[in-house]
Amino acid sequence: MAPRVQTRVSNALLPYLTSTSISSLPSSSSQCLSRQFSVTAASQTKLRRQMFEWLSTDGAELKHHIPGETNYVTRLKDSPMSATRPFPNNPNFVSESVLSEELRNEVYTRVVEEKKSVRAVSMDLGIDMKRIGAVVRLVELEKRQREQGKHLALPYARAIHEMIPTTPLAPPGERQTYHEPINDLPAHPLTGAQIFYPVSESRPFNRVEAGRVFSSAPALEHHEAAEIGHPSDLAEKIIEDPRAIGWVGKGNNARQILQPADVRIPHPHMVALERDHIAHPNERRAVAERQTKRLERQDAAEQQRRERAQARREKKLQTFTPENSRFEYRIQETVYTKETTGADGRAPWAVGRRYGVPHRDRTRGEVKIPTRVEA
Amino acid sequence: MVLRIRLARFGNKHNPFFNIIVAQARTARGAKPLEVIGTYNPIPKRPTNLYNENADARPYKEIALDSSRAKYWLGVGAQPSDPVWKLMGMVSRSLFLSTRVYNGLGTA
Repeated sequence: MAPRVQTRVSNALLPYLTSTSISSLPSSSSQCLSRQFSVTAASQTKLRRQMFEWLSTDGAELKHHIPGETNYVTRLKDSPMSATRPFPNNPNFVSESVLSEELRNEVYTRVVEEKKSVRAVSMDLGIDMKRIGAVVRLVELEKRQREQGKHLALPYARAIHEMIPTTPLAPPGERQTYHEPINDLPAHPLTGAQIFYPVSESRPFNRVEAGRVFSSAPALEHHEAAEIGHPSDLAEKIIEDPRAIGWVGKGNNARQILQPADVRIPHPHMVALERDHIAHPNERRAVAERQTKRLERQDAAEQQRRERAQARREKKLQTFTPENSRFEYRIQETVYTKETTGADGRAPWAVGRRYGVPHRDRTRGEVKIPTRVEA
Repeated sequence: MVLRIRLARFGNKHNPFFNIIVAQARTARGAKPLEVIGTYNPIPKRPTNLYNENADARPYKEIALDSSRAKYWLGVGAQPSDPVWKLMGMVSRSLFLSTRVYNGLGTA
């Protein structure tokens, strides 16, 4: 067989040998010579050349960052927005600030060591409640890793924190700047519907009523509606007793009635505080006291609810931990009756895999990525 | 014919999942049973929401069992298979005894 591959490889990989290898080629492989790779160096593309030019002239300014300032390309333009806009052609992209090291540690101290409620800390520091939870978990993880003597990427973290906008912790006595809006509410899918709903002029129609219409629940009785002065009044009642939310539909279609935004926002008591402020502009201390009481009541109610839920879960779930096993067994008491498995034992809500029904895990469009994490 | 309480394998390759069933001993593994009385997932799951106090929590396996139905079928002479015998042992111990007793570490 002709040494086809060998000559080609030697020519391509070792260009400085080309002259000798060609001279020593056997005549039989002359056919291959026409297909040999070019040995002249590929000229740089124009863009690549321009990039290196830019790096040595304009771009040289960005080579070293100034600690505490962002180092974005937009800096070269000296526009006022340049500190937060990394992409020159996309002014709509704003780089949001992250929590500074001190603020992050303060969150952990307040929640874990001072045992303040997540809600109160969120309101004091202007950080979303979910983010507070994440910060506490991550700081705890970091502490654990330190205890275990694991290496942390601290120089990396320090360098990154120098180059991105951060929210600093306010010095004691000063008001903390809010890190992010904390009372945002995502649009509920039920509110997407366009509904034509005639209401007589004599009847009040507010956010509470609108929520009922969206979830196709019957309108409130007149005396019930008259009791609600402002939609935010409902918030306290519902936080203390979530069972106060009514239901519509039957069986599998049963769902809770959509509550007004005043109830669903993360910090409904902030609305109550503002209304109290407006109603009593000269009683600052009394308003503040009422707010503290309100928060305490809410925290107590939430704590109680959490404990009840935990007790219920523990009652339902038994665990068994064999001594010489790597695993724990979680045992759940279930009931297999006609009601729970259906008349033929094949109801879709029955526990366990089903008989005589194709398993749909490979059908098109079936989402197999878990969408939530079980506790 | 003998009644057995045994496992019926479901799930795909490398992804087993078992129903705990009551069936005639000579019927096929995948045949429709007399009754499904529980499930067993042998794939261990890693606990989430780990904090410092429960950082060394073990991975867990899930068992679901209708103990009253299991008692009934045992009462009428159903014979558990070895794996089911083991699972039932764990269920009954977790229901009626504390783990310490089972492990011989102390009294209830």
